[in-house]
Amino acid sequence: MKMIKLLGMVFIGLCVIQPMSFAQDSPKPEEIIAKSRLAFYYAADDMKVKILMELVDKDGRKRIRELTMLRKDDQNGGQPSFAEASKGRQKYFIYFHQPADVKDMTFMVYKYPDKDADRWLFIPAIDLVKRIAANDKFSSFVGSDFTYEDVSGRNPDEDAHTFLRKDQLDGRDCFVVESTPKQVSEYAKRISWIDITNFLPLKEEFYDKQNELYRQFEAGEIQVIDGIPTITKRVVKNLKSGHWTEVSFAEIKYNLGIEDDIFSERYLRRPPVQWIK
Amino acid sequence: MDKINGRALFIILVAGTAFFAVPCAWAASGEPRPKGRAAMPELHGFAEFAHGLKLSDDNTKRDDFNLLEQRLQLKTKYLFEGNGLLARKNSSLNFKGDFTVDEYFSGKTDFELREFNLSTTPYDWFDLKAGRQILTWGTGDYLFVNDLFPKDYVSFFIGRDDEYLKKPSDALKVSFYPSLANVDFVVSKFEPNTMPEGDRVSFFDSFQGGIAGRNSDRDLLEPPLQPSHLEYALRTYRNLRSHELAFYYFRGLDKNPAGYNDEVARRLFYPRLDVYGTSLRGPAFGGIGNIEFGYYNSREDPDGDNRLIANSIFKVLTGYEKDLGNDFKIGLQYLYEQTVDYDNYSANLLPADFVFDESRHLLTQRITKLYKNQTIAVSLFNFYSPSSKDGYVRPTISYNISDQWKAALGANLPWGEDDLTEFGQMKRNKNVYVRFKYSF
Repeated sequence: MKMIKLLGMVFIGLCVIQPMSFAQDSPKPEEIIAKSRLAFYYAADDMKVKILMELVDKDGRKRIRELTMLRKDDQNGGQPSFAEASKGRQKYFIYFHQPADVKDMTFMVYKYPDKDADRWLFIPAIDLVKRIAANDKFSSFVGSDFTYEDVSGRNPDEDAHTFLRKDQLDGRDCFVVESTPKQVSEYAKRISWIDITNFLPLKEEFYDKQNELYRQFEAGEIQVIDGIPTITKRVVKNLKSGHWTEVSFAEIKYNLGIEDDIFSERYLRRPPVQWIK
Repeated sequence: MDKINGRALFIILVAGTAFFAVPCAWAASGEPRPKGRAAMPELHGFAEFAHGLKLSDDNTKRDDFNLLEQRLQLKTKYLFEGNGLLARKNSSLNFKGDFTVDEYFSGKTDFELREFNLSTTPYDWFDLKAGRQILTWGTGDYLFVNDLFPKDYVSFFIGRDDEYLKKPSDALKVSFYPSLANVDFVVSKFEPNTMPEGDRVSFFDSFQGGIAGRNSDRDLLEPPLQPSHLEYALRTYRNLRSHELAFYYFRGLDKNPAGYNDEVARRLFYPRLDVYGTSLRGPAFGGIGNIEFGYYNSREDPDGDNRLIANSIFKVLTGYEKDLGNDFKIGLQYLYEQTVDYDNYSANLLPADFVFDESRHLLTQRITKLYKNQTIAVSLFNFYSPSSKDGYVRPTISYNISDQWKAALGANLPWGEDDLTEFGQMKRNKNVYVRFKYSF
């Protein structure tokens, strides 16, 4: 896995040095998407971030979700390619700081490439570890406009990808790729603008069966943290309801060496202070 | 208004003093703190107003309502900092307490200490939590097989928040994490379930020969606090890929007064009980499935021939939950209870005794649908027993008006053909309630 990532970084590095190489022959869309997943969801071996979500309805009423998220990639995979690495196993641990009625709740996800994720929720008021059915990936995450799939990533193999064109977005060169789900999905079509240099998704548009744009993702701010380009502000808008969610990442740290056993019922019931404060 | 409960005041003072004094004392005795003042612990909680109107008459204290109260919950956590022993062992003091004004009892004020414990990790492989705490395990949804920790069914039936179904335990919990399986071991002081007693919630009282309210004059004999009445609960669990396997053992007393101590004095007691069990939970058929077994060994009536003490029982619970998309979930459960040595039980009954069934089948169903970015939750929980011919319908609608304000509307509708079944005896306690809550 590490090797794959290293190769990935070298690859991205080469792209930065020689962007023209792409101008000549149009790249494979599957490869663009896979590299984009790698850059967006699999940066470094692990990560800690404090996330602030602002949920705003069409009348401007705002709700807040503040949480700390830990992510660790499975180190035992030894996947053979970018495509494989871009859907590798991951573990997530989330601790809620706000609002008050969910404070101290914890949430844990084991993500797998080829089956539904395992999800657990701990409700401290009743000392209950609850198993959450996870077959609907398009459920809203904590009432926001982000789906569970937005949070932990969609397997690139679930869509068929077509390279549309190259484009510019706010002065950045992008690949534009259209993805259509192979099986019935919430969206009928997704169009992604992916930064040529760092492969981060700058914009995604989701279209429904009537080919109407109903949801839109936009990266608002990108910072280089520990040498890794990272989207630190992002917005998802639901164009039908007028509801939107802005997510800000703060206190981002990569490669902390988070122990594997943090992602267990023990720490779900007893949040690891050293990681969440 | 009654005078403030002296005992409650005492507990508040003791808890409050201990809570703030212990860390201070520790700080004073330990290494100097890092530069700057240690942050004061954050104070959180909520204020809540709840009102439940009664829909059926009975012989309880009031006919028009069975819930009318204001509640202030305060909680805080103190994390030990610096270089002291407790700080190095990732320790914290946790406090949660509820102040209540209960209009059902003419404005009686009370304080319930729900949590006050020290949580620490003496070694990497060993956690410890000592003091008052809420304890839960097992796989059921409102149904408990191997969770023998105390519950408050009065709160459940009058429409308080689900949080209040669980009563706190005064306990020491130690957890070990060897590679083979995790182990939780709890030693606790006996705390009975809070069950209807007739003043607020009517129920089947065999001494009264039917559903009783204030006319109930049972005497519940709680065991004195002594080492032989301590309770022990053990759980060992591990993951098998995506599934969780657990084994349970409990040695203590029945949480319900399941034995007659003295029929003439109408005195009931809590007989000795052992429970052995196991559970498995994990993905199944595109959802989450669970199965749990429990064998309740009635130690004071091993052969089931004592008509005054509940027999041993075998229980099996199985459940399934599925997410159907669009924030719509369903959950189904089936519980089967089989009385052991039923022949001995029935052979020893006296002619005037009430006869309880040998087995019971209970089905539950939960439907939950969320609307408006999950700010509105509509839920229906339904208990139904075809064998007891009774059931209990619990519809609720809750609305998160903002991050702070929440309103809930719900009903408790137990029903049943007979008066002595679990839900049939509750049928005169039907209510509709509202709750408004401000969280901070």
